[in-house]
Amino acid sequence: MQTAKRDIAVSMTGISKRFGPVRALENANLEIARGSILGLVGQNGAGKSTIIKVLAGIIKPDSGSIVINGEAVTSLTPASVEKLGVHFIHQDRLLVPTATVGEAVFLGHEIGLGPFVSRRVMERRAADLLKRFFGMELPAGTLVKDLTTAQQKVVQITRALAQKASVLVLDEPTAALVKREVDSLFDVLRRLRDDGIAVVFISHYMQEIEKLCDRVTVMRNGTDVGTVDPRQTPIDEIIAMMIARDVGEMFPKRSVELGAPVLEVSNLRLGGSFENIGFNIRAGEIVGLTGLLGSGAKEIVQCLFGLKTADGGEVKVEGRELSLSTPVKAVRDGIAMLPEDRRAHGVALGLSVRENISLASLRRYSRSGMVSRGAENQAVDGLIKELSIKTPHRDALVRELSGGNQQKVAIAKWLSCQSRVYVLDEPTVAVDVGAKVEIYNLLNRLAGEGAAILLLSSDLLELVGVCDRVLVVYRGRLAGSFSGPAMNSDALLAASSGARSNIDGVAA
Amino acid sequence: MSATVFHAEVGVSDEKQAAAKSARRRFGALVVRLGAIAAFAAIMAYFVIFAPGFTSTFNLINVVEQSAILGVLAYGMTAVIIGGGSNVTEGGIDLSIAANMGLCAAVYATLLSMGYGDFLSVIAAIAVGMAVGALNAVAVVGLGILPLLATLAVLNVAAGMELTLTQNTVVGASSPLLGLLVSGSFLGISALAWALIVFSAIMIVVVHGTSFGLRLYAVGGHPEAARAAGISVPFYVSFTYVLSGFCAAVASILTVSRLSASTPGSGELLLSVLAAALLGTVFSRRFVPTMGGTLLSVLFIGLLANGFQLLNVSSYWVNGVQGALILLVVAITSFARGSEGSR
Repeated sequence: MQTAKRDIAVSMTGISKRFGPVRALENANLEIARGSILGLVGQNGAGKSTIIKVLAGIIKPDSGSIVINGEAVTSLTPASVEKLGVHFIHQDRLLVPTATVGEAVFLGHEIGLGPFVSRRVMERRAADLLKRFFGMELPAGTLVKDLTTAQQKVVQITRALAQKASVLVLDEPTAALVKREVDSLFDVLRRLRDDGIAVVFISHYMQEIEKLCDRVTVMRNGTDVGTVDPRQTPIDEIIAMMIARDVGEMFPKRSVELGAPVLEVSNLRLGGSFENIGFNIRAGEIVGLTGLLGSGAKEIVQCLFGLKTADGGEVKVEGRELSLSTPVKAVRDGIAMLPEDRRAHGVALGLSVRENISLASLRRYSRSGMVSRGAENQAVDGLIKELSIKTPHRDALVRELSGGNQQKVAIAKWLSCQSRVYVLDEPTVAVDVGAKVEIYNLLNRLAGEGAAILLLSSDLLELVGVCDRVLVVYRGRLAGSFSGPAMNSDALLAASSGARSNIDGVAA
Repeated sequence: MSATVFHAEVGVSDEKQAAAKSARRRFGALVVRLGAIAAFAAIMAYFVIFAPGFTSTFNLINVVEQSAILGVLAYGMTAVIIGGGSNVTEGGIDLSIAANMGLCAAVYATLLSMGYGDFLSVIAAIAVGMAVGALNAVAVVGLGILPLLATLAVLNVAAGMELTLTQNTVVGASSPLLGLLVSGSFLGISALAWALIVFSAIMIVVVHGTSFGLRLYAVGGHPEAARAAGISVPFYVSFTYVLSGFCAAVASILTVSRLSASTPGSGELLLSVLAAALLGTVFSRRFVPTMGGTLLSVLFIGLLANGFQLLNVSSYWVNGVQGALILLVVAITSFARGSEGSR
């Protein structure tokens, strides 16, 4: 075995971590070798971020052992990890906006004499480092808040380099960079590798993994399912490793006659997030929408909800053009929305099941301003029964229900308004399997009654199982439209990571 | 390769937008800064021309002396705002600082009048000031109460204790230290003015010259980033409240020396202290409070009050003007910072 001779910088073995009922990591292993670039891939929720946060000392694992530079470490803290030479470039740019570049690079390791700092020296050193590693010239004393996203990312990496990192972990470092900057970042990482630094590169972009990494560890369902050489392993094979094959009978089958287009979106755009988005959804159709974090898929849905205001484009419901600037208007225009963060937007935890359900449709039960309690109760009880919401009675507080049942209340709220269009954002995240199936049944029933449904999800199996058609967003554009046999999780994942595209199939 | 092309296009437009946005913001910030400085200059010019005796050496030294107490307090407030962040609702603020000074003055004057010497009395006043600061720190850092509320509560605790101690009366005091502060002078500059100069120098060096100060700004500017850089955020925030209490104690000794007594009503200084600390931000290119900016604002507020006096305008107007200045500065800085939050 060649592995035995490799110079191991970090070795994590048998790491497990649970968050309440959710199993984030289960006996996961990660081995990082000096002088090589390790790719770390997996679907959203596969445990990539969690295992990295364990290494960073941000999350305490329930079990498992970590060895850094030959030394077993028991309790990691962010500070102690840095002392061991392990540095992280987090996805969010952790820089002080009001600091200068020099201050930001050396914060915590200031240069100076005793307690005094020399800003001039720090700024000059930072400028030297930026020039040497990135060929980037910034005026001394530029404030972080005046930098572009890419420049801030570069400053963050420079921070780690200034502190002589021996292990460098980059979480989706290219998400905000342009091509030229990605190339120069890769050059830097290769140079660091040749200097003997261990680099971990987390990315959703398969092309980047193939181009850069010496080895790639694939994670799935909280564990590592294999480590391969990306240059000798076809991308398709790596993608196959990322997707579980055991699809149960979770997805109820159905057959519906599709009607006329109900929701028509054309040329929708939002600066910096997405552009030229157009699609139709017909009556009775369930259309999936997916894309990686930062691809713009989420923002498209938020624009339909009115949580964000699109810069331009057209949205029509049954031929009527909508101005989608606020959720109130969206409700009135017949779009029912189910946001991902149900605590923030979906249900009011402090109100009862009844109040939540009838909130969006009070007008239907009101006569001259007064709520008719009898009609309301009848409708609410009907929905509780229909969705099998497990609640002691209709006046129980939503806070006391389980996550899945809270989600069902949120759905019931929209059922009671009898909308024509349903837009759902990750409706089954953190919901148990039984409740998932009930939600799928519900979607089928709504479609059967002639509603048009848009389902944003990052669960590819769910999309394949539930949808008639799936749209994939890649870097702000529709990169593919899949239906029938072409709609399988391999194809979806390939399209969302940019490995393959199917632009011809996009409905205009 | 179409995928790569998207990559570049979206990225480039993003970069251009960001650059344009930051250029706009820098321009806006510059306009605000120059506008503020121009307004200050205009007001000063008006006083120079119309207020009799405004520019006399005697008058200017008088203003500096009068500003000493306000200055010391404003440095404490500035440190708290730096470390807690200048978000108006959730950021750092110490509303108890003026009341704390009143309590320290009462302790100091009472102990002196009971016959304890300068040494013990000064130590006791500083201990009380720092204890009140520590109480703020516990409430804000330990219990996680919003600084605005926590220090408002402590304000009342301190004010209540002062009243209990003095029964709302004037407590006369005299001691060698007070005598020195009142009549001592060195190089033709009075002791009170020296107190401001020395205190200012220390504050400016500590906050702007040391790594401690740099980290303090990081803690206030982006606590997550500070934490990621291995900086103990709770320690720094707690420190600012204790420092603020220390400043209150130092100011209390100056105020007792000026009035030869501890007198009720020190709480009225709060508005001026807040105005000075907040006004100072417009002198900073980063729109953060700075010690230098606070010093300039303190002198500006001192000159404003002085000019009004010389023009025979009722001093009650000064309060109104200060309140208006606070509103203006907070509005302008919130506006100038607005785009940051959405990024």
